[in-house]
Amino acid sequence: MTSIDHLEQIFRQVGARLVSKPDFKTRGICCSGLVPAKAIVDLAKLLAAEDHTLLDVSVLEAKEGFLITYHFDSFSEPGRLAARVLAPRENPVVPSLHSVFQGAEWHERESHDFYGVRFDGNPNLVPLLLPEDFSGPPPLRKAPGDLAGLADLGVFDGSEILDPSCASLVPARPAPPAAVSEARDA
Amino acid sequence: MNSLNFINPFGVSEDPGSYVGDFYTDNFAKGAGEGTLILNLGPQHPSTHGVLRVIVELEGEYVVRAEPVLGYLHRMHEKMAEVKTPWQYIPNMGRVDYLHPIAWNWAQVGACERLAGIEVPERAEYLRVVSCELNRISSHLMWWGAFVMDLGGVTPILYAFEEREKINDILQIVTGSRLTMSYFRFGGVSADVDDRFVRLTKEFVPYLRERLKMYKALVTDNVILRRRLEGVGPMDADLCRRHGATGPILRAAGLKRDTRTDAPYGVYHKFQYNVPTGPSDDCLGRYMLRLAEIEASLDIVEQAMGSLPPGPVRIDKAPKAGWKLPAGETYFAVEGARGQVGVHLVSDGGKNHYRVKLRAPGFSNLSLFAEAARGVLLADAIAILGSLDLVIPEVDR
Amino acid sequence: MDLSIANFAQIIIACLLVIALMVGNAVVMVYVERKACGFIQRRPGPYEVGPRGILQAVCDSMKLLGKQIYVPGNIDWILYFLAPVLAFFPVLLLYLPIPFGRHLTAMNVDEGILLILAFSGLGVVSNILAGWASNNKYGILGAARAVSQAVAYEIPMIMALLAIVFLTGSLSLTEIVERQGSWPWQWNIVVQPLAFFIYLVSLVGETNRAPFDLPEAESELTAGFHTEYSGMGFALFFLSEYANMLLVSFVCAAFFLGGYKGPFMDGFWWMFIKAYAVMVFIVWIRWTFPRVRFDQLLNINWRWLLPLSILNLWVTAVIVRFI
Repeated sequence: MTSIDHLEQIFRQVGARLVSKPDFKTRGICCSGLVPAKAIVDLAKLLAAEDHTLLDVSVLEAKEGFLITYHFDSFSEPGRLAARVLAPRENPVVPSLHSVFQGAEWHERESHDFYGVRFDGNPNLVPLLLPEDFSGPPPLRKAPGDLAGLADLGVFDGSEILDPSCASLVPARPAPPAAVSEARDA
Repeated sequence: MNSLNFINPFGVSEDPGSYVGDFYTDNFAKGAGEGTLILNLGPQHPSTHGVLRVIVELEGEYVVRAEPVLGYLHRMHEKMAEVKTPWQYIPNMGRVDYLHPIAWNWAQVGACERLAGIEVPERAEYLRVVSCELNRISSHLMWWGAFVMDLGGVTPILYAFEEREKINDILQIVTGSRLTMSYFRFGGVSADVDDRFVRLTKEFVPYLRERLKMYKALVTDNVILRRRLEGVGPMDADLCRRHGATGPILRAAGLKRDTRTDAPYGVYHKFQYNVPTGPSDDCLGRYMLRLAEIEASLDIVEQAMGSLPPGPVRIDKAPKAGWKLPAGETYFAVEGARGQVGVHLVSDGGKNHYRVKLRAPGFSNLSLFAEAARGVLLADAIAILGSLDLVIPEVDR
Repeated sequence: MDLSIANFAQIIIACLLVIALMVGNAVVMVYVERKACGFIQRRPGPYEVGPRGILQAVCDSMKLLGKQIYVPGNIDWILYFLAPVLAFFPVLLLYLPIPFGRHLTAMNVDEGILLILAFSGLGVVSNILAGWASNNKYGILGAARAVSQAVAYEIPMIMALLAIVFLTGSLSLTEIVERQGSWPWQWNIVVQPLAFFIYLVSLVGETNRAPFDLPEAESELTAGFHTEYSGMGFALFFLSEYANMLLVSFVCAAFFLGGYKGPFMDGFWWMFIKAYAVMVFIVWIRWTFPRVRFDQLLNINWRWLLPLSILNLWVTAVIVRFI
């Protein structure tokens, strides 16, 4: 599909580190890429110019840090696009998309509530879902042993490695073929 | 104002100096204009349908700024997923959106099935469509009544409830509950339909079509209602795009975007139905669109019930309680009554979900309220809020 | 009118009767309204207390009497407690010139309608006081709406009534009723249909009933000016609302529907039948229509009702003068 190739081109244009074209039928995402934090606003601007909308921002807690996934969808041609940014576990700061998509404000505030990720440029980074008097660190997973590596989670499964430093995020072997899991309760 | 604060005969008094306002109001009050009034609508307000709180700055009757404050019904569904197995998590979904629980059922079950590569029997797919569409109709009916109530017309909601009760009666047969339904299971649905379900559903479709005509005559064509809605709260495609609005709001803006047709799931591709768009991007457009969607859903229900294939409603090797999801990431979106319902599921191959992110359409739809309500009358702001069709548990999750 | 002892006693007795009528009316109307609303909404309405729920209104009033008066902080104590009283008592006075029969009037003054129109303006004062004194933003907004609405709707109301006064040449309600006949085609509604219509619309606006219930618009202002009132404070507002409704219905009956005159046998029962018919009409539209917006409410008045009533008055004046 040409439009997916085009989206891939956009990813490369903003300096993506990893890019992949997963099967929409099994992954629900037609194009995915890891971009440097500072490039996310440029990517959003390019996508906004092509009639894309920001559907969701979800944060994944992993060994490598917080993987922030921005889900975009096009108004002209349906298909979900996942732009990902990896923020370090200590002092996670990511530029805000508020200037491009005003709807990002709330998604970012929510991510700030639950993961402590700070979004530079968000005009109103106050608690959204958590109470205002919530004190202490964000409600993260307790034990660091709980955390899985991004490679184990298969998020970047089958990605093309554009930045060799990110090679460790991609699972070495292809994910097992999708099949009914036989694990049954004994 | 209270120079005459006499001896308090009832012993209830408040020290005026100690009260400084709460965090959100203070935050909002920064930059308040001269001669404006900051008003708290909610969390207990008749037309915020639950516990939404909106802080508005009023200049006379006009809204200068408005800012929704969320979190009064936050129940950590996403966090709960990290300590629950997929099986244990199914009932949670009915609680997220109490008006269209079956769409959320579908999103979660569909995401797990997609990750595990489970195929669903055809009869189960049909039943999923039927139950989801019936549920969508009941959600829209409920919205219709509540919306007219926001406009001051109290009677229609009781008519809407009558129809909704009929749908609840039908869905109760298979789901066992009337509000927070959990019908879907991994690899199918929980129960097959019986004759009563088939009969009631087939009776319901023509019945509601007749009733919709009556609604049009009684409510839609009412001159006061039309004047209240025409041209109020325009939300064009660009506003929707910037805020990620989906569902009826986006379709009323003229874009034919419906997850049922854009990213087909289930067996929606087998039915002939109309995805209504327009007629206008104001409150009246959204009102008309939702009524048109009820008719489209009736079409789907009619076709699906007419061609219900025989067979099992669950696969033989359906996953059981100790089932582990394979490691991986997936996203599954369905079209809920309020827009695109999405589940972003990440599994590390363990017993519990590693991460579940719920994409609530109401969350994005509500975020454009601040922009849409700027400079309108207070009564219009209420109408705009109503036209967004909010379910607060879903917004707060 | 001489203020002799007999006259004074008559007024006292009349006042007591009027209080009884007001309270009785509220009880009846609560029941009628809830039953009518139930009928419109296809549900039974109250049916648990007493036969067909007839004692429901009594129980409701008992409940209101026994309720704690919850007083918000930082209120203006005098005005807060004065407002419901002010809402209730002027209405008493307004009933005095209402004729229930040729000689069945509490106080047969020549300027009856003038008295009613003058004192009915006091009702809105209580709304302002209630909204202001209760230190509530919804209350303030409701009070502000109440003022502009009352100011707006009183004018076409007076204009409509003035047209009848022109025809009759008298300000006395008894006189106006006497000029009409017993049969419907002899009533003023036939000669002044436009005035009747204008009066009907403005009486809904005047009594703050839906679709013109902006001062207490539930979905916008929770309860408007009486948001902070509970128990008897609320009950007095409630009582005065129904009393006002009854009053404007009586005036409507006297001015346009022949008052106590009716087919077969004149008498006070005709007055009540007609007034309650108007009341049921008000109840009916309340449960049928959505609420208008505030600017639309004023537009209806200033753009339509007021010019129409002026036109009506002019035409009436010309006809009365030259024909």
